[in-house]
Amino acid sequence: MSRTLALFVCLALCCSANDGLAQKKKASRKPVTLRGKNAKRSKKKSATKSQKLPALKTVADKQKFLEVIRESMPTRRVSTKIRYLPADLDNSLEYRVGRDSDFAPLIDDERFVRRVHLDLVGRPPSVKVIRDFVADETGSKRAALVNRLMKTEQFARKWARYWKNVIFHESTAPRSRTNPQALENWLTEQFRKGTSWDRIVAELVSAMPVRNKKKKKEKNAWSQKTGQNNFVLAYENKPPLLASQTARLFMGISIQCAECHDHPFDDWKREQFHELAAFFSKGKYYMPGMGNADKKTEMKPRFLLGEQPTVKLTSHQRRVAVAAYLVYNQDNYWFARSFVNRIWNELVGDGFYAVDSLGPDQECLHPSVVNRIAAVFRYRDFDPRWVFRLLTNSRAYQREIRTIEKDEELFTAVRPIRLNADQVKASVLRLTGPDRTIGRDLDREFRADPSLPQRDREGSVQQSLLLMNNATLHRKLNNGRLKKQLVMVKAPRALLNRLYLAVLSRRPTSREISRGLDHLMTVKNRAEAVEDLLWVLVNSTEFLTKR
Amino acid sequence: MRSSREFKMIPSIPTLALDAEVTRRGALGFGLGLSASALLSPLGLHAEQLKREGRSCILVWLAGGPSQMETWDPKPGAPNAGSTKAIRTAVPGLSVAEHWPKLARRIKDVAVVRTMVGKEAAHARGTYHVHTGRRMGGPEKHPNFGAVVAAELGDPGSDLPNFVSIGKTLSSGFLGVKFAPFEVTRAGQLPANVSKGVTAPRLARRLALLKGQDDEFAEAGAKARVVEHRVLYERARRLMASPKLKSFRLDDEPASQQQAYGKSRFGQGLLVARRLIESGVPFVEVRHGGWDMHNSLFQKIEPSSADVDRGVSVLLSDLKNRGRLGQTLVIVAGEFGRTPKINKKTPAPGRDHWARNFNLLLAGGGVRGGRVVGKTSANGQEIVERPVMVEDLFQTLCRVLRIDASKELSPPNGRPLKIVDGGQAISEILG
Repeated sequence: MSRTLALFVCLALCCSANDGLAQKKKASRKPVTLRGKNAKRSKKKSATKSQKLPALKTVADKQKFLEVIRESMPTRRVSTKIRYLPADLDNSLEYRVGRDSDFAPLIDDERFVRRVHLDLVGRPPSVKVIRDFVADETGSKRAALVNRLMKTEQFARKWARYWKNVIFHESTAPRSRTNPQALENWLTEQFRKGTSWDRIVAELVSAMPVRNKKKKKEKNAWSQKTGQNNFVLAYENKPPLLASQTARLFMGISIQCAECHDHPFDDWKREQFHELAAFFSKGKYYMPGMGNADKKTEMKPRFLLGEQPTVKLTSHQRRVAVAAYLVYNQDNYWFARSFVNRIWNELVGDGFYAVDSLGPDQECLHPSVVNRIAAVFRYRDFDPRWVFRLLTNSRAYQREIRTIEKDEELFTAVRPIRLNADQVKASVLRLTGPDRTIGRDLDREFRADPSLPQRDREGSVQQSLLLMNNATLHRKLNNGRLKKQLVMVKAPRALLNRLYLAVLSRRPTSREISRGLDHLMTVKNRAEAVEDLLWVLVNSTEFLTKR
Repeated sequence: MRSSREFKMIPSIPTLALDAEVTRRGALGFGLGLSASALLSPLGLHAEQLKREGRSCILVWLAGGPSQMETWDPKPGAPNAGSTKAIRTAVPGLSVAEHWPKLARRIKDVAVVRTMVGKEAAHARGTYHVHTGRRMGGPEKHPNFGAVVAAELGDPGSDLPNFVSIGKTLSSGFLGVKFAPFEVTRAGQLPANVSKGVTAPRLARRLALLKGQDDEFAEAGAKARVVEHRVLYERARRLMASPKLKSFRLDDEPASQQQAYGKSRFGQGLLVARRLIESGVPFVEVRHGGWDMHNSLFQKIEPSSADVDRGVSVLLSDLKNRGRLGQTLVIVAGEFGRTPKINKKTPAPGRDHWARNFNLLLAGGGVRGGRVVGKTSANGQEIVERPVMVEDLFQTLCRVLRIDASKELSPPNGRPLKIVDGGQAISEILG
């Protein structure tokens, strides 16, 4: 790998060192440069000999080059000395929230095992797993369970599916050009192997699939079967879309408004948007004029934080450059932070900021906490498992649920979260047995935007109707194995125990037992009574909630 | 962090009063916080007024892009006319293609817009444009116009959903599930999952148990979720029990009416749409497919047109007889038009996508019928007079339905958007 190219990119990265994101000028409307006083604004327009630099056309070359940059990151030298434990997270968060706030207690084992199963593997635990976990006397059993679950295929697939849904949700590309399943499979493989997040994103962003004109569209003409091409394909290789989606998904910044005019809420200027888009174009990139679309201005690529290649690059090189600036710039901790914030949002119910709306002026809660986690995430080589392990072992994650109405209450408890479509499907099909029609109906009614903040997610009347009345669902439920098992249990208490464990993954409370006993006595027909109780639990709010 | 609930419609009191628990919740100020005085607030009163006016809209969606030269802008004698002849209508000087005789007789109720300017010649993009008034491609998922109408004109306490679609349609975008289209696959049947499957007493028993179950969960810290869940279940239950559910079926519709609309799915769909409108649903879309006639156009056009010709004419006369035509806007449109030049496809030629100029029909709601808006050239390839942009169309629709087009909607993560951006209503056809 040529030292020249490696050096120049490193130089460019170092030269654009800024003195901290905290120094954004809020009052003025000057462009957000986030650069320090010593930054060298390199304006070399000399068409340097791109022929001398490696072409970086193949995926292998790109990866090799990115590895070189990775090795040179200063964070790698100190990583072993940095320790950050769940207790550290909790101490700093509790300090920020206020030590005398009313913190909810930690959940019991039953609730923990259900919560962590739904979060890590996307499905509730079996009755046996619950019983074994509760009976286990080991002090570190919660941490051990987390480690066990993270080694499963289901963990990899669940989170691969999450990111696939997130990437594709705003995609308007024709279906003949993309292959979301291939993306999911590739991501599953990466999560299974434990590939670091920086490598995953760098590959997604630097991909440059080229259309094979000889092939028909659907037959992989766009190389869509190669999973990692699908981020770029989802946005049709269009520079403005790739710019706004890269910023949204991997930095947690919403800049799409700035495509047409200076951002109304934040300090992003049109030029900055188009300078970012310039990284993704095939040849020269032109920003259309404001009033008159014909009046075009050529834009040179410049990253949002100010980094700029000092030499002229080909389109392949530019893709690698933008991936490098995104992922390996030691000052771009928005990259690390947006990943942390998303996972936090999914697990705890509230992020530190809305997952894809952070601009320089947007509110961020407890920045010191999320910044610290993001920083350590980098020291840990962007290991996603580290983030999951940190969060799931913290008190912040393990608190009981509570309705959170005011911002002051955030993080004193966990927000009860509505399950997503995959979790609902897994929960229902576990009770009915696998069924394509039910799966498809559930998918249609429960699928929603994965980036929407938890508190804004809503149900629909059709979801309720489905769970209340769907003939196939209830027929399968009423003829299924669980119902038969329950009907055979003679002792009513044992029946109720088994029912609640199977459907809600916990034992019933005393009031639930008393209501249940009452029902079992009133309705003489045992089968009928059990059907009623099954119906009630499947239609309960709790069944659709992560608590 | 601000809650982005700006555009949530406030459910009216009657809904919530059914559950005392929920009204107490309301008093705690969680999103549903209401008192009787809320109904007298400007928003509440305005919504009530509009509801009383009963303005509503039926969109007949011709999916695929109907050819303008074979529908309402014929060019007989032009080299590209193919075999399509023109026929006279009840208005002298106004011709339509030969396959539309019934509409020709009813033309006095119909305004023909011949010069719609399209920008999108791909199905998904064109459908998005004509359904939302905006071009596809930004981060925002703009709402289907039906969702906007449901939000602006619908009674939030209604038993029936305020936006019904017979056939699939575009989603409500950022307006969310509250105004999502309630899709029905087949007209004449009840929507999916509304039959309770058990006896009424048993359902009541189950719901009572459910209440106890959820009450306890609310106490355990999930109050907000339980409240939301209950609101949805209440709406579902009301829909299931609603006497208006029969609007989805045709049992009590005289056989002669069913015959008149036509026994096809589309015809039945229009009849159901009329019934739903009369039950208070402000927006119903009825889909008619098969208009993407790249090949065998001249063979396919007759049966396709016959269905729509009959259905729409009968719908208009039915609405008129029932005194509802003045408050019901009927739109007949597709996503774009078709090329004036005939292609060479096999087994028989047809026309391809053409967005430069396409046509659509507007009727009812006070629209002045019997007139043409715009003029295309003799060979149909250009607009000669009076181009109409999609924004102009949407301004017109808002004007007819008495919706304030400049009102701003708030997408959860984006900047506020007006219902219609720019454009001017087509004054020639407005009363």
